[in-house]
Amino acid sequence: MIEVEGLTKRYGGFTAVSGLSFCVRPGEVLGLVGPNGAGKTSTLRCMAGVIPMNSGTVRIAGTSLEADPVAAKRELAFFPDEPRLFEYLTVRQHLAFVARIYGVGPYEDLARRLLEELELADKADMLPGELSRGMKQKLVIACGLLHSPKVMFFDEPLTGLDPLGIRRMKDSIIRRAGEGASIVLSSHLLHLLEEVCTHVLILKKGVKVADGSLEEVAARFSNGEAGVGLEEVFIRATGGTEA
Amino acid sequence: MIGALLYLRINSLRNLVAYRLRRLRQPKYLLGAVVAAAYIYYFFLRRLSFAGAPQGPAPVMADAGRVVAAFLCTAAAGAALVRIAFAWIAPSEKPGLRFSEAEIAFLFPAPVTRQTLVHFRLLSAQAAILLTSALIVFFFRRMGDVGGGRVASWIGWWVILSTFDLHVTGTNLTLARLRERGRGFVLWRILAVAAIVSYAAAVVLCAVAYLDAHSASFLAGSGPGAMGRAIGAMAASSPLRWLIAPFGVVFAPYFARSPADFALAIVPALAVVALHYFWVARTEVRFEEGSIALAERRAAARAALQRGEAPAPAGARPKPLAGPFPLEPAGLPETALLWKNLLSMRSSLLNRRTVALSLWVFVCALMVARTLLADSARARGGDIYGPIVVTLCFIVAGYTLLVGPQIARQDLRADLPNMDILKTYPVEGWRLALGELLAPTAILTAVLWACIIVCAFAFDSRGDIEGLTPAVRVSAALCLGAAAPFLCLLQLIVPNMVMVLMPGWYQATRSRGGGIELMGQRLILGVGQLLLALLVAVPAALVAVIVLVSAGWWFGSPAPALFAALVAVLSIMASELVVALWWLGDRLAAFDVSADSR
Repeated sequence: MIEVEGLTKRYGGFTAVSGLSFCVRPGEVLGLVGPNGAGKTSTLRCMAGVIPMNSGTVRIAGTSLEADPVAAKRELAFFPDEPRLFEYLTVRQHLAFVARIYGVGPYEDLARRLLEELELADKADMLPGELSRGMKQKLVIACGLLHSPKVMFFDEPLTGLDPLGIRRMKDSIIRRAGEGASIVLSSHLLHLLEEVCTHVLILKKGVKVADGSLEEVAARFSNGEAGVGLEEVFIRATGGTEA
Repeated sequence: MIGALLYLRINSLRNLVAYRLRRLRQPKYLLGAVVAAAYIYYFFLRRLSFAGAPQGPAPVMADAGRVVAAFLCTAAAGAALVRIAFAWIAPSEKPGLRFSEAEIAFLFPAPVTRQTLVHFRLLSAQAAILLTSALIVFFFRRMGDVGGGRVASWIGWWVILSTFDLHVTGTNLTLARLRERGRGFVLWRILAVAAIVSYAAAVVLCAVAYLDAHSASFLAGSGPGAMGRAIGAMAASSPLRWLIAPFGVVFAPYFARSPADFALAIVPALAVVALHYFWVARTEVRFEEGSIALAERRAAARAALQRGEAPAPAGARPKPLAGPFPLEPAGLPETALLWKNLLSMRSSLLNRRTVALSLWVFVCALMVARTLLADSARARGGDIYGPIVVTLCFIVAGYTLLVGPQIARQDLRADLPNMDILKTYPVEGWRLALGELLAPTAILTAVLWACIIVCAFAFDSRGDIEGLTPAVRVSAALCLGAAAPFLCLLQLIVPNMVMVLMPGWYQATRSRGGGIELMGQRLILGVGQLLLALLVAVPAALVAVIVLVSAGWWFGSPAPALFAALVAVLSIMASELVVALWWLGDRLAAFDVSADSR
């Protein structure tokens, strides 16, 4: 469960996110959408504890991120838009390192299963430099899933993936949600959100414009029209302009 | 094309200057510029003579300058020969011309001929050559009154550098063309290398023969003037003068003493440049692939240097390594960070290879010094070797403590690109900081321990100092060894703290070049590191002295006093470390690299 209350993030005099509140329950997938510069990535980074927020509270699986960041971080996984890997650790060594950092305990069986699921088993002794971008993305996911997080944050998860990779990523997100994880993902690909998300939150200039289930948000901006897609909803909600 | 090149260069330069000037509005860049300007003035410009009364160098200095210039030119000619020979011995798989990645992206698909691209490359190189020539004349003119005026010297250096650049380019293109043809590629290379080696051998043999026959003239005169005349006579002797004539023609404008000499020298020199130009311009070869590979290598090397890593050799691919020790699934997270950073050691400038090479050179130097000094030591009946080794160890230890933290960067600085991931780890800030700092601490401590061990044996090896018993010697070594990791850790906290507090400043100081303001910032950081080192070391040192004296008086023996002083010193340094780590961890939690760039 992710509970966000009054999240505000400022960079000097610029307010990136202002008083944002929402909740993502277990099994829900929240799509964070908005024009460029709307504050999506800042929101995700604040919720993942990467950067401190200026005010507000974030609770991860019931634990306050400010009061007990270590316990809260133990329950979450953050997947940035660019796969960030340690250049001189092999795939297998990445998993060993992450297992130790998160205190996973005996991790070998789980690691082997993850590598097989993500089709990385035959690349276990390769360095990130030898992997394609999609493979790197998969390694990041394997590292993120190793400690069985209850909360997941994805920032543009489909960037750089081929069609098969996109399909697998979507299936993976839906499956994790089905297993009880609370997931927030930010993306400009609205068709992805329509396929994967149960809920959507539209941001503009750091302020929440709308949130709720896909049907609720669509109903709010459809003006009584039938079959209004998320793309049209997005354009109407944001006024069709950049942040 | 020339118009486009000029447009590109002039606008790039104008925008660069405007950007740098605009940047000076920020205090950190203004301060850096002021510091660097003061440094350049104090160490370079102050010593130069400007317009006004002519202040030529003293005659002795001028003679010395000519001798030094002669040696430098000989060395430059030798280096050029080696460079050319190397190109023939080990030609690149895909020889190419030097273009930037942006130039490749815009020019290679453009509707222009290969010849035009070659001209673009040659003209681009000219901008750098003209600037380099001007800088050489500006900064080193005072070294010796070698040639004519400043303009003549500038043109002289332009001829030398242009000829070299054109020759290397021509060699690469010729090699590419021979490789394209396929037949006789190896034979041509063998012939070329044989010609170069024969030429070098002939020059050396002629010079040796001359020296054998005229050693008296070299030994008779004293002072640089006589030496300069003797070298001049040797260069003018036959057959040496004919052998070095190609180099002589190129170097002649630089050495011309009068306008008339210069006018005579510049014509054949320009002819050599023109011949090289026609050679390059007429060599039709497919260089695109090689140029792309070269640009990628240069970009990768630049990026690696910026990250504080050693550029990988061409074609080298990193191979996976086993961890430095088995990493158990359970345990302290700091150990995992140490394990990870030790694994990344090979990518750093201070990697396993350079550490092993340094140790090997150190040991060889000790052996050579021992051999060389053995006779002298016997003759004087004293120990020369010991003091030299001890001095060397002190120098290495000093550099390790002061410069080491800038070289050993397997810590937060190397992990800056991964900071988003590190900060999601369920680890307290101070523990994350400590874990990140352990690897460079281990590396620097190992170097210090090596110095301490060597000193323990070499210091006063004849036992002249009263009271320096083996027990005291071992106690002192153990105490210093125990304090070493604390000192290294404290020293490493400083640059990491700078990175966390001022990421923008830190990133800027890691980029190459970037104007004098960045040079000033680097100077400020270096001095800051030194001052902070003193700040943390002085209290501990003062307490050490007080405890050492008091405990020595109390115990009546130096060995227990040393351990008492160690306890006091470690207490102080541990307290400093706790505060510094807690603060660093706290700052790390609030650290947002993206905020600084906004």
